[in-house]
Amino acid sequence: MSVCAFGIDVGSTTTKAVAIDAGGRILERRVEPSHPRIEEQSARILDSLRGALGDAPVGATGYGRKRVKAGRILTEITCHARGAWTCARRPGVLIDIGGQDTKVIRLGPSGEVTDFAMNEKCAAGTGRFLEVILGRLQVPFSEVGDLVAKAAKAVPVSSTCTVFAESEVISLVAQGEPLEGIVRGLLQSLAARVSALAGSLPDGSSVFMSGGVALNRAMVETLQKVLGRPVEVLPEPQLVGALGAALSVRS
Amino acid sequence: MIARRLQYELMSHALGPAMVAYQTWSDERRRSRRAAKESPFGPQLECTRKLKELMTRHYLAGRYADGAVPVAWVTSGFPVEFLRALGFFCVYPENHAALCSVQRKSAELSEVVEKEGYSRDLCSYARSDIGCALSLKTPVGRLPKPDLLACCTNICQTVLYWYRALAEHFRVPLVLLDTPFVYGSASPHQIQYVRDQLGEAVETAERISGRKLSGERMQRTAELALEGANLWGQCLEQGRHSPSPWTGFDGFFHMAPIVSLRGSEETNDYYRLLLAELQDRVSRGISGIREERHRLVWDNLPVWFKVRDISTSLAQRGFNLVCTSYTNAWAEAGKRMDPQDPLGSAARVYTHIILNQDLNNRMEVLRRLATEYRADGAILHSDRSCKPYSMGQVDLREKLASELGIKVLLLEADHADPRAYSSEQGETRLAAFMESFA
Amino acid sequence: MRTTYLQSQKDRGRRVLAVLPIYFPRPLLTALDVVAAELWGPPGPPRGPAAARVQTYVCAVARNALAFLSSGGADVADGVLFPHTCDSIQGLATIAKDLGGWKKRSFTLLHPKGPSRQSARTYLLAELRGLARELGEWTGRSLEPKRLSEAIELHAEIDSLRAELLTRRARLALSDRALYQLLRRGEFLWPEDHLAELRDARKSLNGQKVQTGVPLMATGYVPEPGSLFEVLEQAGAFIAADDYAAIGRRLPTREVVRHSDPFETLVDGWFALPPCPTRSADHASRLDHLERLLERSGARGVLIHQQKFCEPELFDVPAIRKMLTERKTPLLYLEGELERELSGQAVTRIEAFAEMLSTQGRAA
Repeated sequence: MSVCAFGIDVGSTTTKAVAIDAGGRILERRVEPSHPRIEEQSARILDSLRGALGDAPVGATGYGRKRVKAGRILTEITCHARGAWTCARRPGVLIDIGGQDTKVIRLGPSGEVTDFAMNEKCAAGTGRFLEVILGRLQVPFSEVGDLVAKAAKAVPVSSTCTVFAESEVISLVAQGEPLEGIVRGLLQSLAARVSALAGSLPDGSSVFMSGGVALNRAMVETLQKVLGRPVEVLPEPQLVGALGAALSVRS
Repeated sequence: MIARRLQYELMSHALGPAMVAYQTWSDERRRSRRAAKESPFGPQLECTRKLKELMTRHYLAGRYADGAVPVAWVTSGFPVEFLRALGFFCVYPENHAALCSVQRKSAELSEVVEKEGYSRDLCSYARSDIGCALSLKTPVGRLPKPDLLACCTNICQTVLYWYRALAEHFRVPLVLLDTPFVYGSASPHQIQYVRDQLGEAVETAERISGRKLSGERMQRTAELALEGANLWGQCLEQGRHSPSPWTGFDGFFHMAPIVSLRGSEETNDYYRLLLAELQDRVSRGISGIREERHRLVWDNLPVWFKVRDISTSLAQRGFNLVCTSYTNAWAEAGKRMDPQDPLGSAARVYTHIILNQDLNNRMEVLRRLATEYRADGAILHSDRSCKPYSMGQVDLREKLASELGIKVLLLEADHADPRAYSSEQGETRLAAFMESFA
Repeated sequence: MRTTYLQSQKDRGRRVLAVLPIYFPRPLLTALDVVAAELWGPPGPPRGPAAARVQTYVCAVARNALAFLSSGGADVADGVLFPHTCDSIQGLATIAKDLGGWKKRSFTLLHPKGPSRQSARTYLLAELRGLARELGEWTGRSLEPKRLSEAIELHAEIDSLRAELLTRRARLALSDRALYQLLRRGEFLWPEDHLAELRDARKSLNGQKVQTGVPLMATGYVPEPGSLFEVLEQAGAFIAADDYAAIGRRLPTREVVRHSDPFETLVDGWFALPPCPTRSADHASRLDHLERLLERSGARGVLIHQQKFCEPELFDVPAIRKMLTERKTPLLYLEGELERELSGQAVTRIEAFAEMLSTQGRAA
């Protein structure tokens, strides 16, 4: 199967790239931490894909999209929606918890974006919120799931402001609250924020999730509980944006 | 209608008090079982029980008020006397929002309205009250539906937007009393404007209640309101004694009747009781906190959800709040009420509320309170939710410190929403402030 | 540039009055030879020693204005007028007057709130006469009713030209950026100078539609930063209907009744303005007005563009959202703090909104 398009998603924390065939299947993938020199990094990644598979048009998205030499430049919202539609093939609500911002995108009956919401510039409700506080607690992201499973109950974290929450969490630790309970409380706080962003969801609508945070089982479960409905994690969730970008230039 | 009225009368006069008495009794039993911890406060005011009864009865009666009597939802600064004279049952959403905050319900109620698109930057009272209207969740069981919304902008413009949203939700008339802000003193045409609007408001309220405002009743209510303001003022003045027989934090709770039940016999009876108790405590040297070493003035609304923590921190180190510009406001304005000209004087009185006057006046009030109550420090609560009360405090802080030689803390918090407050930072600031007195 | 222009006006013997947002009787100032220079912030972070005198949870318009006034930014002005727009501008007025920030003369206009009631009309008339008296004493000029009537007509012509450019926006061969720059120059130009520019711009009106992008409606406080319009244009959209408090909401929605007493005409003009939360319009009339704007302009989406902490505007947002959702009109909510440039995140949201609307257009 020959390459038909490349898609690159330059996010605030990681840069993701995919090569797809005419059927929209992912042939190759690259995931790297984002480098401040976006032009150089994206050119290098794309060159490596070209070296492996041959040339094809490029679609770019993400925070650094305008710095990429690409045939088509589209926002993450449109690209995540296109990527998600290819995976799910049905309307619904897509939640993408990214490093810098969280998006809630509504997909219409033919995969078009009918509405979207994005957090304001503050880090509350984003992956950054988790990252900062987990970092402070010295809990690796990969261990969150096991830790939360052990928690007898959640210790509520009321502040959603990242700075306030950080100091609140420190004092909870100082008061001897169990670490696993605090982490569970953190996930609940983040889920509540995402749910507020999503607003009221229409009855029976499907909920999909993309983005790196979707790989975290505990987060997905918390979100399911708060939203009161199942959340379907899309295959290779962190690549959905790059996939959408590639689809937008597929001939 | 008659059945509803009976139910209401029964709840407010017979069953209600009985249930309150039962609740108080069971509360006390529960408390007595707990081990008595070393408290930094003086003995509790006997009156607190009566206060609870009075307020619980009010909210209990409220549950059955709609359909029985006309119901108005009013702002704390609204000239409620004519509504009372027309037989309205008055609900105070601000007081209710404070209750929600004390009972830790504000965040939950706010989330209801934030989902509807209300910004988290809006006043937390408004958010939790609109949240209660939309979700019907309230710690008081049930609030009676309004027949009329009555809003006076002498405390802020926020109430106007807030009540407009309520008017839209309940589909009932909104009476607006727009009070021009006062620089120095109000001009005659400004007072006339308020007086004219009062005339318009009375007409609307008469139409809704189906009654005519009786001059006699109006005069009687104004007399009661005047007497109530004077009694409340005398209660507050007991704080001038050293040590003060109570704390400003007590005042935040004991102000509920003068705010919510102003112009009624039961309110004045209550304040007579409170005054007698405070005077008795003064004569016996009983203090609001165990050991009063420093005396503070408080500016702005309380941090309702942290009253316990903040008052305890202060009391543990011998700091007492001896007066607050907030509780004082209800004593100050009402004193100028004239029962011979109830509506004309109401126009003047309600325009000259502390929050509707310039910062020169505010500085004057704080200076006077600090001097009369012999305070050696002040806490200015910079209240995220109350911009009109908070703007200017950065300068007031410097002015008070330099002109009166007292220590002043600007405490960043919120009157109801715990999510806007960092306890750790707040506690640290408070502790550093107290250490600076050493 | 503004300062140089205002200085040249002073050299002609006119006085300069800095004016805080939003509503004030322009003809009254013109008739007394006073140039209004509106102060919407200005944008950017507050600077100077007074930057922290207003808490960060107060809107940037009031916060920046105090810093600007205190640091001498508006010294070309001879006085300041504070209309009673909201609690924050009210607070600013008393801080600047009582606690320092503005040493020269200040005036207030405590305009009424709420609908056109008899009490409000009587009061506004007295308040305007009071302001005229104070300004008259200050300028040393006597206010002649004839000059006031002439000034009313001059401003009526300006308003109708501004309205024409906005309502026939799709036929106007000007970019949004250029149009808004022109309209906002009215915030400090002497009215005759502004009129000349408007007449000039009117020549760019064509017989047919020249704007080909996705038509949007904008509602909000003030169109800052100006680069917003470039982002919109690049994303393939333009503003076809305007409900900014600074722009469209200051243009009367009906013919103003001319009374023999020009002050009465000013009062009627006040109540002829479109519904605005800072004058406390009720929801029904506000939503009606917005729906009319939407229908007339054919806008396919709405940009709700607010300043953080702006209570009057923010309280209306849920009702506007609800109305738009019921009409199935897509909306984008954008909030700023008078930044000089849009954040990358805001740019992404605007672009995504335009992408969304253009694909919907194709599907339809």
